[in-house]
Amino acid sequence: MTRRGVLLRSSFSRSTQGLVVWACMTLVLVWAADADADVAVERIGQVESLPSPFGPHWMWASDALLERISLVDLDSGTFLGQINAGYGVPVALFSPDRTEIYLPETHHSRRTRGIRTDVATIYDAVSLAPVDEVILPPKRAMNPLPSGNSALSDDQRFLAVFNMTPATSLAVVDLEARRFVAEIQTPGCSMVYAAGDRRFVMLCGDGSLLSVVLDEDGRARRMQQSAPFFDPELDPVTEKGVRWGDSWIFVSFAGWVHVIDFSSGEPSFESPWSLISDQDRARSWRIGGAQHLALHEPTGRLYVAVHQGGPDTHKEGGTEVWVYDIAARERVGRIELRNPGVTVMGMGLAFGRDWIWPFNGLYDFLLDHVAPAFPIEYIAVTQDEEPILATGSSFSASLGVYDALSGEFLRRVVTGNMTVQALQPSPFRGAVAAGDGVQP
Amino acid sequence: MTALDRWVSGLTRGLARRTSRRGLFGTLGMLLVGGAALPLLPVARRAGAREPAPGEPDPSTPEGDPTHCEYWRFCSIDGFAASCCGGTATSCPPGTEMSAVTWIGTCRNPVDGKDYIVSYNDCCGKGPCGNCFCHRNEGDKPVYLPQRSNDIGWCMGRAGVIYNSTVSIVIGVSTEQRGQAGGAL
Repeated sequence: MTRRGVLLRSSFSRSTQGLVVWACMTLVLVWAADADADVAVERIGQVESLPSPFGPHWMWASDALLERISLVDLDSGTFLGQINAGYGVPVALFSPDRTEIYLPETHHSRRTRGIRTDVATIYDAVSLAPVDEVILPPKRAMNPLPSGNSALSDDQRFLAVFNMTPATSLAVVDLEARRFVAEIQTPGCSMVYAAGDRRFVMLCGDGSLLSVVLDEDGRARRMQQSAPFFDPELDPVTEKGVRWGDSWIFVSFAGWVHVIDFSSGEPSFESPWSLISDQDRARSWRIGGAQHLALHEPTGRLYVAVHQGGPDTHKEGGTEVWVYDIAARERVGRIELRNPGVTVMGMGLAFGRDWIWPFNGLYDFLLDHVAPAFPIEYIAVTQDEEPILATGSSFSASLGVYDALSGEFLRRVVTGNMTVQALQPSPFRGAVAAGDGVQP
Repeated sequence: MTALDRWVSGLTRGLARRTSRRGLFGTLGMLLVGGAALPLLPVARRAGAREPAPGEPDPSTPEGDPTHCEYWRFCSIDGFAASCCGGTATSCPPGTEMSAVTWIGTCRNPVDGKDYIVSYNDCCGKGPCGNCFCHRNEGDKPVYLPQRSNDIGWCMGRAGVIYNSTVSIVIGVSTEQRGQAGGAL
């Protein structure tokens, strides 16, 4: 054998030996690790769906900065999941029958510029995965209102999206056929609220109500404008109406309640009544906030965020929530609101909960007595037998949680958001599985 | 493992047991919040002082300083003042576009006591400015009265609908009672 051959053989055998030794050591280590493992080998690639059954106190909290809606359990404080949206305040619509979520979104091809695309994204309500979409005219109204920019027909077949360019119109989507149907011009009238299987209504600049009645294909069959039912100059109603059975309830800047009953098919306007007594009005109590109304349908109770302030404070958040029996037209309770909690970048600044008494209450003491009181702009109530009142502020991403019947403050829940711009109780109940609502 | 390694390891593990990232951010956040609560020195407020415009309040006062939400023209604003965002009270920040349609308000000039009609055009095409969030809402009406509503994003119809900030341009003297002026532009 030549000297070169010896060298090659020697080199080969050294590297082979090294490889064999390395493999043996690996095997020994794996065997040793496996023999001593307390944790079983796990599977890669698992993705959760929402737990079943759905909880009665789940709340969706919108965030325009993170462009998403978070789902949190107000009982446990657990973050359950999220759906993402595009530009603006994301507000979803829910179909309990199909266990689907519909989210009108606006996107630009270069994020802050470029080609605009408006789309209604359809999510499975259990997996929270997008399952379909319908492209809309790129005209969706841009405003921060937490309701009234889109509506679902009572039979959940048609979705109506309010457009403003500033010409106003409705875009109608057939959710069963998964297609855009028509754009209906609605000059002088804005927002959209469902009032029947084929009826959407809008508020008009002269204080009247426009009914848009659809045919079975989703096209406008009839447009009917009522006589004015409020004075838009002297005392306009806010756009933040709430649904009460077959009725819609709108409240004016000065606190007058306008109930519109659709049970007969056509709108019927009840005589207005005031939320604010003369005595309270003298003390400057007013309604206010971006989402200042909530309703508990089973008990017929209306929850109203109120504050003490002057004219033009209709957007100012509440310091109290006043509770009304709608049928009796009387106030039945007052709930003093507490600071929902301080958050920075979505993280609650809670500290000292595990400190010894009495220092474990220091955080709550500071929030209630030292920190500036955040105005409560958003309130929502769950619809179960033991309802929860949730309160939020755009200056905090935490929610205040109250017993809606007794008014007792229960806890603070961190949403993980950077801010809060809308609150919606999850309408889903009972046990459902992912894909239940997905059409073939 | 050397004694030094063991000592450092023990120290860091102990620290990790006693603290959390969340706690660290929480403490930092508290400091930030606390810092924000401290009053600003008057020197800083005077730094941006300018000569008063004819017929306008002294710029050293909040009602004459366009970097304050109390500035008289901002009476109906609900958004970020362009004057704090690289623009002025009447011009948009660099690289943005001014909306053609808008809402209007009526603001009283404290110097001459007259009510002026102010056009609140939005500056569009860049993300929210974040400075001088002014939330005054005087004369604001709901969205179904669009020419009087400051909730509407008026960047509609432009290259993008992205809202950045708002200017406050005087377009006339009001001859009507305050809060009653209206009309789309």
